[in-house]
Amino acid sequence: MDFMKTLAIAASGLRAQAGRMRIISENIANADSTPSSPSANPYRRKVPTFHTELDRSLGVQLVELGKVQTDQSDFRLKYEPGHPAADKNGNVKYPNVNSLVEMADMREAQRSYEANINVVTATRRMLMRTIDILRA
Amino acid sequence: MAITDIPILSMLRTRLQWAQERQRVLAENVANADTPRYQAHDLAPPKFEVTGGAASTAVSTVALATTEPGHMSGFGASPAQFRSERKPSYEVRPTGNAVNIEEEMMKVAANQMDYQAASAVYMRSLSLIKTALGKK
Repeated sequence: MDFMKTLAIAASGLRAQAGRMRIISENIANADSTPSSPSANPYRRKVPTFHTELDRSLGVQLVELGKVQTDQSDFRLKYEPGHPAADKNGNVKYPNVNSLVEMADMREAQRSYEANINVVTATRRMLMRTIDILRA
Repeated sequence: MAITDIPILSMLRTRLQWAQERQRVLAENVANADTPRYQAHDLAPPKFEVTGGAASTAVSTVALATTEPGHMSGFGASPAQFRSERKPSYEVRPTGNAVNIEEEMMKVAANQMDYQAASAVYMRSLSLIKTALGKK
């Protein structure tokens, strides 16, 4: 039945967006994770990727969270001479996480999640209409 | 004569199937709203011939073979073959994704209304038959 396929697709979208939220929250939580020694690197920002996946049993194109990649941009440098991870100039490497970018990303994930929920609601309503034909 | 052979009911059935299929396509679009290089799809509306009852051009029906004179031509499950359409979208994001989520939401809402209208007419047609049968 097509409605079940529709629900499966929408559920895959929900799953993908929820995974994206998880990665965003990881980034925000680790926005200040500094290394313990001057030679080590701090937390590197993670970037979620999406790709289309053909579900052979249903014959539909689902969406899946692909390999989580890392942001290769430079780390933020902060002048903190007393920090244990400070180099000889007194600079400490901070993660390349920009909370403003993460917030914008989170909004986008939220919006996509709501759109998928909307599809589920609409499909359920159509399904109920079909059942109403039986009742009539 | 099966109940599905009644022209108006088979026409409505085609319409409902089309809405179901379209809901699946729209769900795919929404789920892949963040997938790079994904193009939005849509279904072409079913074409009803002026003279014929059913949508013979849009739907290919699979009939049971009648090999003996006593056989009745049954009606099998006929998977509707609707044409998939790909319209150029207004905006393509830098990742190559061309799904406009507002547009998709509009289409989902319109599709739901379509389905409700068709199923309401279906119920009315059934109650006409019931009236003819003398059921109060």
